[in-house]
Amino acid sequence: MKWVTWEQVGVDRMACAWLITKYIDPQAEFLFVPAGYKPLPEGAEPFDIPGARLSHHRGHCTFYAMLREYDLHDPVLERIARVVDEADTVQDVMLEPAAIGLDVLCQGIRRISPDDRVALERSRLLYDALYAQFASEPNQG
Amino acid sequence: MEQPKAPSWVLLVYKIPREPTSSRALVWRKLKRLGALLLHDAVWVLPATPWTREQFQWLTVEISELGGEAYLWESHLLLNGQADALAEQFQARVDAAYEEILEELEQDEADLVALSRKYQQVRAQDYFHSTLGTQVRERLMRARGGLAS
Repeated sequence: MKWVTWEQVGVDRMACAWLITKYIDPQAEFLFVPAGYKPLPEGAEPFDIPGARLSHHRGHCTFYAMLREYDLHDPVLERIARVVDEADTVQDVMLEPAAIGLDVLCQGIRRISPDDRVALERSRLLYDALYAQFASEPNQG
Repeated sequence: MEQPKAPSWVLLVYKIPREPTSSRALVWRKLKRLGALLLHDAVWVLPATPWTREQFQWLTVEISELGGEAYLWESHLLLNGQADALAEQFQARVDAAYEEILEELEQDEADLVALSRKYQQVRAQDYFHSTLGTQVRERLMRARGGLAS
């Protein structure tokens, strides 16, 4: 199916796209519209767009909403959600030192990529790596 | 932190129910954490960058989820010099925080862990790149020992 989000993807949307392709819709096709653009393309599921079902809720990032909406229960994914939360939103409590670095790397990936599609493609490696690393650290969730 | 190319500002005005007080406190803490400035007890303002835009956008969503109402604008000042004056207000606050760190660094047994964390928090709000920030960083690196780079 089709998924739509705003242009200039960053840490949260890269994480979401990785999650979608890996756990929800392996054939996912991503569309990008300028920030604030309306109407959104028909038949595409919006994510990380204000007001969407798959978006920030109660101060948590969109990745967090995805885990909840698609019933994904995996302590490693939950830890990634916390990292993305700390990277993408204002938090008083910071428990994941990876958050700041991840945010910087994601911004950099967007910067060196010709478009959002390529940026999503390239960022997959980061999240695969993060998942593998966290999975190897039991009791850290 | 990207400096805005044209001095453009994001403005947030909101109202939130008195109860529960935790919601009010949450929003207020986030605004402080972003380093937003409250003008005349009315409007919260930040220099517009992709990051501040996004943070205010999500805060606007969160306020309405908490039962409040929020409006978010982007604007620029029309009168000459006002943008600079506003930037100076941001700078003054950040500089005061940097000064505090510098003072604490003078103490014997300064808590370097806490001070470097505090530095990072202040730097996140240093939208106009204060030169004091560079000083603080250099002092912290010297305090750490080894080769400063």
